[in-house]
Amino acid sequence: MKLTIQKLIAFSLVLAATLHFSLAHAGEGVFGWIYTLDLQPKGKLEFEQRLQLNQTQAAGTYDAWTARTELEYGLTNDLQVAGYINSYYTSANQNYTNPEACGDTPSCTGGYGVPSSHDPSTAYRKSGIEGGSLEAIYRITNPVTSPVGVGLYLEPTWGRNKDEIEARLLLQSNFIDDRLILASNVVVANERLKFIENGNVPESMLDILVGASYRFAPKWSAGVEARFHNDYSELNLRNQVQRATFVGPNLHYAAKDWWVTGAWRYQLAGGTCMGGGEAECSNARVWDSHSVNEYILKVGFPLN
Amino acid sequence: MLTTPIFAQAKIYISSEQAQQVLFPGKTLTKSPILITDDLQDQLRIASSIRHPFQGERIWRSSDGGWLVIDEVVGKHEMITYAVALNAKGSILGIEILEYVESYGYEVAEAQWRKQFVGKTANDPIKLNQDIQNIGGATLSSKHLTDGVKRVTVLYDLALKNLSVKSKQ
Repeated sequence: MKLTIQKLIAFSLVLAATLHFSLAHAGEGVFGWIYTLDLQPKGKLEFEQRLQLNQTQAAGTYDAWTARTELEYGLTNDLQVAGYINSYYTSANQNYTNPEACGDTPSCTGGYGVPSSHDPSTAYRKSGIEGGSLEAIYRITNPVTSPVGVGLYLEPTWGRNKDEIEARLLLQSNFIDDRLILASNVVVANERLKFIENGNVPESMLDILVGASYRFAPKWSAGVEARFHNDYSELNLRNQVQRATFVGPNLHYAAKDWWVTGAWRYQLAGGTCMGGGEAECSNARVWDSHSVNEYILKVGFPLN
Repeated sequence: MLTTPIFAQAKIYISSEQAQQVLFPGKTLTKSPILITDDLQDQLRIASSIRHPFQGERIWRSSDGGWLVIDEVVGKHEMITYAVALNAKGSILGIEILEYVESYGYEVAEAQWRKQFVGKTANDPIKLNQDIQNIGGATLSSKHLTDGVKRVTVLYDLALKNLSVKSKQ
């Protein structure tokens, strides 16, 4: 199936609207990218649609849209499982300027999703179904009743561009009648990239996510979140090739029947590439799958 | 008059008048608001851990010396309004959920959960997972309501009890 960004957005909106009229409850994620320990209660099912745009690299055009269509289910009050369908639309044109990537030309087309075989002097556009993911979150302690809530997260992904196994340690503390949420995720992932070289390129990642969200009025929360990102060119966090920092605001609205979260994170200058990954950096920022601005929109509708 | 709580899409609404009839059937109630000083507010916060301020306007005295207190605590999305009935000695006669507008967790309004509070006083822990059982999947509502009921019993000890003594003199 051929997807365009218009189709991707339209599909998301139609699905969200259809479910909105037929459903009646809500559970939610108050952050854009940080997972909390607010899980589906036992027997509860929730639909979630996520749309992310990574926009602007060193030059030219880079728009990488990713969509996740998800169902979450509470197996117990402390164990939530989920399944996703992932889709994407990538539009890149003369977005790299590093001579190690572009040679003698001032700019070239590259970045995550652009295959090695693509002519870097021409624009690249591709869309489609990326693949699927499964997810399980186990809550060891609940931040509502414990000073620190702790949980474990595991997510295998099978995709056209990469396979991945991602694990997270979820930490959360609540304050001021549980209206202020401080949360952190330690994210470790092993990946095999399929769109470059021989189609089996190992990578790994270590991310530290931290954030705060405050419910400043009934139904409304706002906060900030940051990402400290590290990429490695081998599995199991060996040979670091990238380091970057992102920070930005989030806004969340939740009614009884649905919720929506929007967030933006901005890549701060000061990112670096090393260990043979220097071609992915320029202007003191890291590119690859990253960009200057990352936006996310999530909506959720409990189904029962 | 309708005195049965209305359950509709997890919304529970009963009026304060209905709560009065349910908790003090046949009794006459007189509105008796009290001024909540900063010092009293601090003591209530310390005893209950609730940061949302207590309002002293919705307090009634019954003809047999009991008290009805309507309070609110933070819910997941909106405030949860509830009523606590105390006898003349500060022992809980019953609680009612007046307004609950949340996605789930409406089990806190079920009689089975509410009756755990009956007979307790400020001398009891009134603490979730100690003497009050949690409702799985509704932990936030269970905890805040439990802390709220504790706050009302402490209010009796710190303020309402003295009013009872004065009115007898």
